[in-house]
Amino acid sequence: MNNSQCPVARKSGLVVQEVPDEVLVYDLETNKAHCLNQSAAMIWKSCDGNTSVSEIAKLVESQAGGKVTEDFVWLAIDQLSENNLLEKQIRPSFEGTSRREVIKKIGLASMIAIPVIASLVAPQSALAAASCACNNPSSCGNAPNAGCPNTTNCNINGLCAP
Amino acid sequence: MARQGLNKTLNYPRALDREILIESYGVTVRLEASDPDLFSETEQTARKALVGRVKILESAEPEHVFGVSSDETGTLFLFHNGEQISFDTSRKRFFKFFNSMLRIAVAEYARECVFIHAGVVGWKDKAIIIPANSFAGKTTLVSELVRNGATYYSDEYAVLDENGLVHPFPRDLSIRDEGFKEREAPVTEFGGITGTEPIPVGAVIITEFVEGGEWDPVSLTVGQGIMEVIPHTIPRNFNTQFSLKVLNTAVSDAIILKSPRGEASAFAIKLLSFY
Repeated sequence: MNNSQCPVARKSGLVVQEVPDEVLVYDLETNKAHCLNQSAAMIWKSCDGNTSVSEIAKLVESQAGGKVTEDFVWLAIDQLSENNLLEKQIRPSFEGTSRREVIKKIGLASMIAIPVIASLVAPQSALAAASCACNNPSSCGNAPNAGCPNTTNCNINGLCAP
Repeated sequence: MARQGLNKTLNYPRALDREILIESYGVTVRLEASDPDLFSETEQTARKALVGRVKILESAEPEHVFGVSSDETGTLFLFHNGEQISFDTSRKRFFKFFNSMLRIAVAEYARECVFIHAGVVGWKDKAIIIPANSFAGKTTLVSELVRNGATYYSDEYAVLDENGLVHPFPRDLSIRDEGFKEREAPVTEFGGITGTEPIPVGAVIITEFVEGGEWDPVSLTVGQGIMEVIPHTIPRNFNTQFSLKVLNTAVSDAIILKSPRGEASAFAIKLLSFY
């Protein structure tokens, strides 16, 4: 376990929006959106490259007003790393133990919300969201065996378009 | 025939010698056509697509160029920024496609407002927004809400301004029957009226029709709610920072609920009685 590691939050290619008690992060490179709950957000913001995991735990403890273990911080770091929100991927200190077991262990002791990051991939463009792939017009619209019920044209880009 | 446009040489079946420059929601578009008849229909379609919110410009550098041309067989061709994006022998279907493409182009590049693919009604001076893709039952639900007294704002887009207010985008409702054939129905067909003023968001309803579905909503946080709306946010890639800021402003005081639902007729009554 290397609690002296100083993780660094990624900044480039991200759009960050603070909302009440959460932070939204949109990754422009992957079209992925992430919602960090308050605990995950606090830890991410503390990843400045100069603050170790142990120190982050103490910082979060003082801000959140409840006991925070290093496992708690590592749980967030693990998720941040997995979602490419750190400059460098970091292997969690609890490697070999399932995340569920770690959550169970933390959950029993923790008075503050477990760090959680929810993610989704957004479609690349509005047109892509409104259409589906085809190779001929019979894939579209009212044609028999249509695979794309919402459209009637198979355009030259291979998309049934509205 | 070749023509210069947007720094490309465009090869149209017939020369595009009629054009008009328009601006809608801050987006400049040049519309071109190869004959007066096509030009007239192109302009009319554009006005309809953008619910009349079209300003004619004298001069400007267009961000989008849509060209409509035909050949000697009567086949129609649609070009967007120099690329052919469609051709069709059915005039009705062709212009329907153009209508959609123009709307999406404006929605994606609009300035000072954010387009969400959603049904919207007004109820007690606040908006109920129902984000959804096509074929999720959005229009059916909107029509039922309007039948039960809600004010019609749109069955296609929630248009949010920078203050988070929802503006009407009141195109005729696009009703689909069981064979997926579409027809357009004015809101008066449902005994409804159209909203005219921007209103704040009262509720965001994340739902879709499920056969036998029961409405049993969970309340989402603002962050969770925005996550649900992001895939339906049209300019999310073009204007991400602004889009997220507006979404936050719009929904931070709203109720955000998520659940599958049953038939629209019963659900509409339930939803409106909730407020």
